[in-house]
Amino acid sequence: MRLTRGLLAALAVPLFWPIPASAQSTLDQVRKRGELVCGVDGSAPGFSLLNAVKEWEGLDVELCRAVAAAALGDAQKVKFITVTANERFDRLAAGDFDLLARNSTVTLQRSAGRKVRFAVINFIDGQAFVVPKKLKVEQLANLSGTTICLQKGTTHEFNLASWFKARRLTITPAAYDTTEAMYNAFFASRCSAVTADATTLAGAIIRSGRAIEFMMLPGVISKEPLGPYVREGDSQWLDIVRWTHDAMLEAEERGINPKNIDSLKHELGDPYLRVLLGVDPGNGKALGLSEDWAYNVISQVGNYGDIYERNVGMGSALKFERGVNALWTKGGLMYPLPLR
Amino acid sequence: MQSITHGLLAASLAFLALPVAAQTTASTLEVVKKRGQVVCGVNVGLGGFSLPDSQGKWKGLDVDMCGAIAAAVLGDASKTKFMPLSAQQRFLALQSGEIDVLVRNSTITLERDAGLGIQYAGVNFYDGQGFMVTKKAGVKELKELGGATICVAQGTTHEFNMAGYFRSRNLSIKPVVYESQDLMYEAFFGGRCDAMTQDSSALASALATRGKQADYMVLPELISKEPLGPFVRRGDDQWLAVVRWSLFAMLEGEEKEITQANVDEQAKSNDPLVQRLLGVKAGNGKALGLDEKWAYNIIKQVGNYGESFERNVGMGSPLKLQRGINALWTKGGLMYPLPLR
Repeated sequence: MRLTRGLLAALAVPLFWPIPASAQSTLDQVRKRGELVCGVDGSAPGFSLLNAVKEWEGLDVELCRAVAAAALGDAQKVKFITVTANERFDRLAAGDFDLLARNSTVTLQRSAGRKVRFAVINFIDGQAFVVPKKLKVEQLANLSGTTICLQKGTTHEFNLASWFKARRLTITPAAYDTTEAMYNAFFASRCSAVTADATTLAGAIIRSGRAIEFMMLPGVISKEPLGPYVREGDSQWLDIVRWTHDAMLEAEERGINPKNIDSLKHELGDPYLRVLLGVDPGNGKALGLSEDWAYNVISQVGNYGDIYERNVGMGSALKFERGVNALWTKGGLMYPLPLR
Repeated sequence: MQSITHGLLAASLAFLALPVAAQTTASTLEVVKKRGQVVCGVNVGLGGFSLPDSQGKWKGLDVDMCGAIAAAVLGDASKTKFMPLSAQQRFLALQSGEIDVLVRNSTITLERDAGLGIQYAGVNFYDGQGFMVTKKAGVKELKELGGATICVAQGTTHEFNMAGYFRSRNLSIKPVVYESQDLMYEAFFGGRCDAMTQDSSALASALATRGKQADYMVLPELISKEPLGPFVRRGDDQWLAVVRWSLFAMLEGEEKEITQANVDEQAKSNDPLVQRLLGVKAGNGKALGLDEKWAYNIIKQVGNYGESFERNVGMGSPLKLQRGINALWTKGGLMYPLPLR
C-alpha cells in the first residue's frame, strides 16, 4: 500500500499540470490540421471581404494570416468561415473555428463569465461623424446648431448629446428606426452629419458609391476597441494571437518590413532584435512555437503600419487616418509590449 | 495487490483528471472570498509603489491596486495582506500559490507572460529604464557613459536592456550586479559606480526617499519600454478578469470624472455607462462573479486612477512624476480603459 501511495504521488505531479493545456490545445489541432480556421465577418470593407478576384482581404484577414505564419510558418494556410454577429461567440466556443477575427468590440461582459476571451486590441473604433465635403466642416465642434442623423436606441444618441452638452453646444438629433432609414435621410441631405461607429460609417459611404462627396471628421467620441477572440482556458493560444499582433506592432516601431528584414537579421548587434527575430532563442520556446515565428509573421505579412495603410488607411477605399491607432511614439495608443 | 493498486490508480486517475478541468471551482476568487483577505506580493520597499509608512501602513500605487481588488471582491479595501518579495522571489511566490496576485512594479514581457505559468492582467504604470548619475560628474547624455561602471540589480530586465543598448552603439561598460535593489542603492550612493540603472520611476523614488536631489540626477533618456502591471497565475481566467477589470474600473472612474468624493452623487447619473460601472444597472458584477457594487466600492474606498496616481507618485507625492504617457487616452496618454459594459 505504501508503494501504491508512492506511485500515486509520483503520478499526481505530472498529471495535474500539462494534460488540459497540451493534449487538446488549439495549437496542436491547428498543427495537425495544417491549417488555421478563422471566423470572419466577410462583408466588412477594410476588415474582411472576399474581393473581385476571390481573394480575402482586410485587417482581420491579415491578422489570421499572421497567426498562421506564426503557428504553421505559412501565412497562406488559412481557411476563412463567415459568421454572423449573433452566432459568433457560440460558434467559437463550440470549436467551429480556431480564432474569431470579426471586428468585434471588446467589453467586460463579453470577456468575463463567458466561454470566450479577447486576445488583444487590433483596431480602436469609436463613434465618428461623416459630413458632406461641401459643408466645409473641419471639426466636430463646428457642427454646433446643426441636425445630426443617428439610429434610435443606440448609445450613439446618448454619447452625442453628452459630448455637445459638455461643451455647451447644441445640436438637433434626428433619430431613425433603422440604419437604412438613417443613411437614406443623410444622403437626401436632411442632416448636416451622420453618426455611428467609424468602421460602419465608412462601409456605408463606400457602398453608396458617393464616397467622393463625403468625409469623416477626425476623432471619436466613444470607445469601441475591436479585437480577436479565442476560447477560454487555452492561455497558450491566446498568447500566440496576442504576441503575433504585438510582433507586427514592434516591427512597425523598429521600421522592420518584408523588404529589409533579411538584411536586419544579419545585424547581430542589437540583442533585442536578435530575440525578436529568433536569432537568439527564448520567445518561441515560451509560446510553444519555432523560434522564427516572428520572422515569419513580419516577412510574410508585414508590419502593422503597412497592413493598416493597405486595408483601412490611405492605400484603401476607407482612407482612415491613423488617429488613436497610431503607434504610441506617434501620438496613438498602439503600444507593443516588450517581446523579450 | 496488483489489481487493487490498478483499481486505485484508475480511480485516482479519474479523480485527478477531473479537478484540473474543474480548477475554476477552486479558483483564486473562491479562495480569497473564503479567506476574507487578498494576499498581494509587493516590493520590499519602493516609495510611491509599495512602502510602509511610519505607522507601518502600506502605501503606494501597487498597494492601491491591491486595495482595489479587495474592495471589488470583499467590499473592503483594507482586507489585504502584503508580502514583500525580492525580484528573484516574486514569480515563484505567485506560481506556488503563496500570494493571490503579484503587484510589484514588474515589467510585462513575452517570456514572463507566456513562459512562466503566469499571466499579466493589465498595465498600471508605463515606465522605462533610466540612469542616475552624480551631478558633479557633468554627464548629460547616455553615450558619455562609455567605459563607466554601472550598478544594476540581478534578476531584472535591466541587465539585458543595458547590455543591448551599449553594445549596439559599440560602447563598453562595466556592469556591477547586485543581489537586491537595496544593495545596489547602497553601493551606488556609496560611490562604487559611476551610474546606476533602474526603471526611471524607481530612480525618482530612490532620490526622493533619500532626499538626495541636490547631488544626483536622473538622465532624461530612457532605453526601454517597461510596462509595469499585476500578474496572476495562468489558467485562472476568472481571477485574471477580476484583477484586470478592477484596474479598468479605476481608469474608467477617472475618465467619467467619478471620484471618492462624488461617487454617491454620480450613482444618480443618467449616463448608461456610469450606471453600469457603479452597478446601478446590473450585469458587470454578475459576469465577474462579484457583487454589483464592486466598482463603486473601489472608487469609494480607494479612488479613481488619477487620484491614486497623484497621491502616490504624482504632484501630491515626493516623487512628483508627471502623468506623461500614464495620462488617460483623452489627455494624450496611453491609459485606455476597455468598456465596462
